[in-house]
Amino acid sequence: MKTIHMKIYIILMFLTGVFQLSIFNISWEYFRIIQAVHILSSAIVAIFLLVPYVNKHIYEFMIVKKAKSKDGIILGVMLFMITLSGFYLFLVGNRGSDILGVISFNIHLYGSFALVFILFLHVRKKIDTTKIPLVILALTLSASYPTPSYSKNDIKLTNIELEEGVSRYYNEDWTSSAKCKSCHEEIFNQWADSNHRHLVDSNPYYMVMENLAAEDKGEEFRQWCMGCHNPSAVTTNQKRSTHLMNSNHIPDQFFEKGSSSLIDGFNAHGNSRLEQGVSCVACHRITKATSKGNSSYSLDLTNRKKYMFEDSGSISGEWLSEKFINSNPIVHKQSYSNTIYKTSAYCASCHDEFLPDSKKEVVSTFKEWEKSRFNNPKDPSKHKTCIDCHMTYLKNDKFSPLKGTSTTGGVIKDDVKVHYFAGSNHFLAGLKNKTHEDQTIQLLRTSAELDVNIINNKLEVGVKNVGAGHHLPTGVSDFRELWLDITLKDKDDKIVFESGKLKSDGNLANNARPFMKVFGDENFKPIGLFFWRYKNLLSDTRIPAGERRVEKYNIKNAQNLKYPLTVSVKLNFRIYPQWVTDIVKKAYPNLPDPTIVELEKIQKVFK
Amino acid sequence: MKSFIKIAFIVIIIFIIVLQILSYLLTKKAVTQYTDSELREAALSRNMPSTPATYEELLKVVDTKENRLSKDKIELGKELFFDKRLSKNRDISCDTCHLIDKDITNNRSNKQFSKTLLSKDKPAAKDCVVCHLSDQSGTDRLATAVGHNNQKNPFHLNTLTILNSSLAKYQTWDGSVDTVEEQAGASIEDLYKMNLTQEEATERLLKDSKYVDMFKEVFKDIKNPQAQTLTFENIQKAIGAYVRTLLTRSKYDEFLDGNNSAMSEQAKKGLANFINFGCKGCHTGMSVGGQNIQKFPVRDYNSILDLTNVFIEDEKGREVSGVSLNFDMRHSYPFENIGGFLGMNKQQLFRVPILRNVTKTSPYFHNGTVDTLRDAIKFMAKHQLGMNPSNKQMDEIVAFFESLEGDIVDYKIQERDK
Repeated sequence: MKTIHMKIYIILMFLTGVFQLSIFNISWEYFRIIQAVHILSSAIVAIFLLVPYVNKHIYEFMIVKKAKSKDGIILGVMLFMITLSGFYLFLVGNRGSDILGVISFNIHLYGSFALVFILFLHVRKKIDTTKIPLVILALTLSASYPTPSYSKNDIKLTNIELEEGVSRYYNEDWTSSAKCKSCHEEIFNQWADSNHRHLVDSNPYYMVMENLAAEDKGEEFRQWCMGCHNPSAVTTNQKRSTHLMNSNHIPDQFFEKGSSSLIDGFNAHGNSRLEQGVSCVACHRITKATSKGNSSYSLDLTNRKKYMFEDSGSISGEWLSEKFINSNPIVHKQSYSNTIYKTSAYCASCHDEFLPDSKKEVVSTFKEWEKSRFNNPKDPSKHKTCIDCHMTYLKNDKFSPLKGTSTTGGVIKDDVKVHYFAGSNHFLAGLKNKTHEDQTIQLLRTSAELDVNIINNKLEVGVKNVGAGHHLPTGVSDFRELWLDITLKDKDDKIVFESGKLKSDGNLANNARPFMKVFGDENFKPIGLFFWRYKNLLSDTRIPAGERRVEKYNIKNAQNLKYPLTVSVKLNFRIYPQWVTDIVKKAYPNLPDPTIVELEKIQKVFK
Repeated sequence: MKSFIKIAFIVIIIFIIVLQILSYLLTKKAVTQYTDSELREAALSRNMPSTPATYEELLKVVDTKENRLSKDKIELGKELFFDKRLSKNRDISCDTCHLIDKDITNNRSNKQFSKTLLSKDKPAAKDCVVCHLSDQSGTDRLATAVGHNNQKNPFHLNTLTILNSSLAKYQTWDGSVDTVEEQAGASIEDLYKMNLTQEEATERLLKDSKYVDMFKEVFKDIKNPQAQTLTFENIQKAIGAYVRTLLTRSKYDEFLDGNNSAMSEQAKKGLANFINFGCKGCHTGMSVGGQNIQKFPVRDYNSILDLTNVFIEDEKGREVSGVSLNFDMRHSYPFENIGGFLGMNKQQLFRVPILRNVTKTSPYFHNGTVDTLRDAIKFMAKHQLGMNPSNKQMDEIVAFFESLEGDIVDYKIQERDK
């Protein structure tokens, strides 16, 4: 083995390494190839050529010829350190939290310059430049390695904007969330049982509603629902959302933990099978979003920077791509995070909804927040955006930011944004995972306070919205049940008044006063499930942020009651009314009934 | 030796460079462009005509000497089609698997889904039916057909749609049955379908005087008035007569009948691709399929020679494990052959499926292993035609298939001269 070859190898490794420096600003297409070439060729060269050569070289000169060379020893040590740090970066990576990764990165970066310098001192001979053209040729050839690009033509979509030059995506463009699991396991598991994951195919309520809407307003109308619920399907020109099918059965996904069917599907079919719903990339590749609502966001899937072999379906390719990312993760981080994620307008792009024809507002959570005291950009200590409540960990009914990592082995953060997406739907997420149910219920319990009094023969119950930065309830509040369950007992424990109890069929009794808005059609008749027929608002008893609402109940024969009177008031919440669940159960007979959650309770004795 | 390595290295580099630029050097084959009328002519000349719009036209297409259609006969067939007494356990009728509503106008446009959903009474049928009955697809949408005693088809065969089936020359997956009448009888007798013997079937119906009268009316023989008319053969004929009226009409038919705007530009391009690529070679006829029997897959498949099969007759077509780079199992098909079905004579010969309404009949292939239409098209293009259509071309073909989707025609069935 010629010494000259070794020199060329080292120079080559050095050059491919140096090109990765940010000062060169090499375009991503070339960067990823250079990175792969650098890592793979270095590993092969180091194991098969360099180490045997150095061994032989040391034996030959230091043991046999007893040569004394100071720079030779330094060079050997440097080479050892750089090889070692290189392998550490390749196999473990520089993910942030382990100090060895940071040290390896710096040794590898700065050491390489020193190495080349000492190499020059050590050889003190002219470098054979005859082989350089071949090296450059090999580099340019590998640079022409074709990279997959799926979407670069035709038609324009309505609500969601795609990057320039792209009118639709293909299944392969939508990286499955299951792929993210290998490095972001904790976050994946939080998301996997969350409501964002279960917005479409595994959500029986949604599937029934989308089909109902399609029948009522025409097949095209599905796109309105799908814009936010199913972005991957809309952008791949799917006409409708489809439920999963496992041979002859709809897999019972109500209790499935950790999205195992998604992972199985990904293992069997890769990205070729579309993941429906709000996936990792759906949110993390939104580049722009406005607070207009109805999926007013822009996606960009094609211009993200992918490392070599990221799209590979083979085990070895996947393994390599993960190693490439970990060894230098900065580009990966930049590709999937954006400062707009912290703004409320980002969430508003879907959490405000209006009817596409009449522009009537159906959900206006963002506009409610805008008017609330939580929107206070002048005083950052009081300014709270969506993620400050909905993506912050809760413990003992209080926000207690979670200290930890978002990547396995990554940087330890003081406030990891958890992906439980706790909101109000404790039910569907709760069937799968008790942590999710617990987080949601804790959040719900931060929202309201109760007070009760009897004045002039009237029972007055006050409910104050203390915790929510929007109305209580918000969202599709025509399908949410938040109500007061009141029991008034006299001295003999006899019930003298009650309100807000359930009927035998599980529905709320007629005397209950749920806090909700009621939509009506053009004839002022309630429209029930068909909320897209909304023309007139019949009533709105929701509680705006920071406000207190008083419900007054007349008590018959109040003077003649035997005091002391005991009042107990509960603020109850149920995610879907029983009649809605009953309808959905016709298509999904195995669906359990949602439970009732007690948010607040107060008991008072009047003498 | 050294110079040899150098030369070899240079040759390899030149070879790679040539490969890289080859696609720019080769001239692209011109794709045939059609005007609307040329496209219509092309489709018609390749024997892909439109389905009949009126009952008179229908008779010209589906009426046979062996089974003359009449109003009474069709009505009798319809009664039998929806009669659960024709199954051993009295729980299955033809429409259990060939899912259609007795009133064929009860489709999505008639709000059948919300009517079922919002009605006070509990749904009587299986839960799938709540949503899918209004599809009027003529199939149960399951991967594997389920019959008597909830047994799965032993070969895991998928229920074929009954719609337009009378236009096909062959019935069933392997094409072993010729007519819908024959198939009706076979389905009643099949152990894994309705599992009722011929004798028991006639016996059961003879107990119902309504049927006895109806059969007498429909099948009376002037020459031999005393002969029994309620026979198994006549049951088959009556059901067959009804099935022959279950045809669909789609945007494609409107286009063929002269309405240029019925099909979208994309769908028209899809039709052109369908003709140019050679799909129409097998998927032909008014039903766009069902007219011939073909080998599947024909190329680019199982390149590893399976020597174990050559001499042992029983092992023919056995799943063979071979080493691929991904260490996958090798299969007889580009998908897992659950059920082990190998088509006619175990030679992987299949009746070419009907493509009308194909958008409503997922999952695809004989054992329903392939979920999406795009995948199905990809497999067919690769293994039958040896080509890899671009994403755009696939979109166009899907759009064409969407234009083949249509509702069952509500023919105004009239009395005719005997």
